[in-house]
Amino acid sequence: MSKIARANVFERKGHYLGPDTAVLRYYARGMNVCRAIYKYAVATRVSHWLWVLAFGALVSSGLQIFNAAPFLDAFDRRDQSHRVLSIDSPQDGVGTTTLFGHVFTTTTWLGWTPNGMGGYASRAFPSWITIPSFQDLADGRRWHFFFAWTALVAWLTWLISSAVKGNLRHILLAPSDIPKLWPMQAYYLHLRKAPPPYGLYNPLQKASYTAVLFGLAPLVVLTGLSLSPGIDTIAHPLTWILGGRQFARLWHFTGMILLVGFWLIHVFQVLTQGVINQLMSMITGWYRPEEYQTVPVEHR
Amino acid sequence: MKRRAFIARNPAFNRLLSSVELVNHALIGTRGLAQTYTMSEISPVFPIESLPTPADAKYRDLVASHFRNYRLIVDGAVEQPAALSLAQLHSMRQISEITRHDCVDGWSAIAKWSGVRLADVLALARPRRDARYVVFYCMDTDERGTPYYESLDCHQANHPQVLLALRMNGVPIPNDYGAPVRLRVPTQLGYKSAKWIERAEVVGSFAHLYGGDGGYWEDQGYQWYAGI
Repeated sequence: MSKIARANVFERKGHYLGPDTAVLRYYARGMNVCRAIYKYAVATRVSHWLWVLAFGALVSSGLQIFNAAPFLDAFDRRDQSHRVLSIDSPQDGVGTTTLFGHVFTTTTWLGWTPNGMGGYASRAFPSWITIPSFQDLADGRRWHFFFAWTALVAWLTWLISSAVKGNLRHILLAPSDIPKLWPMQAYYLHLRKAPPPYGLYNPLQKASYTAVLFGLAPLVVLTGLSLSPGIDTIAHPLTWILGGRQFARLWHFTGMILLVGFWLIHVFQVLTQGVINQLMSMITGWYRPEEYQTVPVEHR
Repeated sequence: MKRRAFIARNPAFNRLLSSVELVNHALIGTRGLAQTYTMSEISPVFPIESLPTPADAKYRDLVASHFRNYRLIVDGAVEQPAALSLAQLHSMRQISEITRHDCVDGWSAIAKWSGVRLADVLALARPRRDARYVVFYCMDTDERGTPYYESLDCHQANHPQVLLALRMNGVPIPNDYGAPVRLRVPTQLGYKSAKWIERAEVVGSFAHLYGGDGGYWEDQGYQWYAGI
């Protein structure tokens, strides 16, 4: 018993999975000892959950804002020939979505949808996905701007804290990771028995986190800022580079779709790769790499 | 749905959400200039999304007399209140600018606007020391009879691109676009660019006016600082 109790508090700097030094902890699991790795710093965990909150609020309130002008144009002059997407209700009871000139009937999902007050209305996105549920642009904007700041502050906190601690190298895709991308994908597709050797994050994780945290997230922030006439007065080139305000709106929406795509894959991965271990590690910081492989106490 | 509506209507929560408006205003400031465009970039169609064009007897008479009897009242906390006719406004220095109108809904449209700087009109009236805002009273009302109004602070009102516009794309402003005088605030969202203006009152505070939030849309929850 005392041996296990001691194992419970045993903690040391050690080598784990490659050259990165990580903090390991051994703890009791029945008569065996389990290994855990300190994977997520406090700033990472807090930022992660703030992003979860902010992302949900931003997407929902963003769709509310979109509903006020349910189309996307690739031009600043109003011009139907430059219309990329429009969601309409040509008559009561019918919803249509027009993408690059192709018309799809999307009644009850897009165009003619629940109005948040017990009925249906001519409304691009349905009440179950918007904040607030009923049509209210003013409320949607208030939520959007508050949670945009929340997400930005969380991103900066994570970035600065990770950079100061030297942890960014764990997550940034390095040139040496590129040859490992396909072997990792092959492993996921069951074409390969073992994954290539990697550190805290596998090469595909590094690629997607790098793309999201340093590509998509800044893109969505910048395209969002360029929609603002006030920002336009202090940063002309921003709107100009993006091709105008309407084009920026198109990029902002596209960035949101890509982020939702990342979110779907991310949630799928978490659900299929030991959901309890994954969720607990993002709360406590401690991740058990081999959940069911325990080391007998005497072997420690 | 009900729960989300409850949260959205909670006053303390709304104050928290609105707190970033002050940050946005402070960070962006009021000195920057809106982008200007070329004649070839003017929108072929300029949408109309405001309260309906006034249809009451007063406005009909103004239209019938080609706005000869129109007077822009400038009063409130000023040394020299004024009632300016269109001829007087036209005799002042005219400024033209091709700027983008950004609607809060999400669309934009570019047009050429000409008229007098609001700053020049205010200089005529000489605001007193206690002046902080200019409130614009408009001739349009909603279906419940609530009149449209807007307000700018003194920094915004003295911005060189803020115009009392008299002409749009080279012709007198069409009735549906705010004839005879409308405000143009290209540095903020479209709802600040009030149409059909009949009076500009210089005040120390707008808290006592209508809903108390400084504008028709502001009274319905939209941001007073409309730069975002």
